[in-house]
Amino acid sequence: MTTGRCTDAATTTMISLVGSLADNKSALGRRYGEWAVSAPTIESAVAAAAMAQDELGHARSTYPVLAKLGVTRDEETLDPGHPLHAIAHELPDWASVIAANLVVDGILTTFVASARESSIEPLAQRARKILQEEGAHRRHAEAWTRRLARAGGSDRDLLATRIAQMWTDAARWPGPDDHAGYGEAIDQGMVSEGPAAIRGRVRSWLTDLLDAEAVKVRLDEPTGWGEEEHR
Amino acid sequence: MSRADETVWEVFARKEYEEPLHHVGTLTEDDEDLAIVCARAIYDEQPWIEMVLVPRPEIREAIRA
Repeated sequence: MTTGRCTDAATTTMISLVGSLADNKSALGRRYGEWAVSAPTIESAVAAAAMAQDELGHARSTYPVLAKLGVTRDEETLDPGHPLHAIAHELPDWASVIAANLVVDGILTTFVASARESSIEPLAQRARKILQEEGAHRRHAEAWTRRLARAGGSDRDLLATRIAQMWTDAARWPGPDDHAGYGEAIDQGMVSEGPAAIRGRVRSWLTDLLDAEAVKVRLDEPTGWGEEEHR
Repeated sequence: MSRADETVWEVFARKEYEEPLHHVGTLTEDDEDLAIVCARAIYDEQPWIEMVLVPRPEIREAIRA
């Protein structure tokens, strides 16, 4: 991936966010697709296949936004690039799929919602389309979370473990709240809210959902940003 | 895994407002939200403008030959 011109901090930040959004959408599509043949029921297998198709479509439609930001991609493929570690490889169990559906999809979709009125018009257009389809993904995640929680025993424990693991990785995706480029992107209307607000929305939604099922998971604010790569 | 005790949903859909709803199939799922998600995924072969689900236990038979 190469940039064709000098870019300001806001644009550089958006290039990182949009590129990573597409990479993670592509990886999520692959992870859902891998479970389309082994979900617990045939109905859920078909739903997983449909979500895979949605995510791969979101990735394919998001990559061209990079061109509007002055970036030339080396290859026009659906190679997932550099996704979050948590979804970089095949997921080991159905609880992981649901945790990714909840947490990773939740963080990414909440970011997309913050770009619904973006001053980057191609991003705003895609955001509105993506948000229409993500409603079904959210419903799927919530319903399976309730089902696994109510199953109790090892199913419930494993779900809590997987959600905590996904949160540790995915909550870092938006980056530190005091990131200068992100602040400039908000000032320029590229997105409407920053990293802590995105995490806060997802945390609030998850807390309500999990508390109702008496599932305890710590959803702490990430710390120790340093110079470390967070997406 | 036996699914004999789970809820069967009858799925109806239409492509035009002028058309009546047609029966397009069934699915088995206890959770109402998952039933809706699954119906949209399973019966997506047509550009429907409306799809509704009815749990089979709620159907009342008026005639059975």
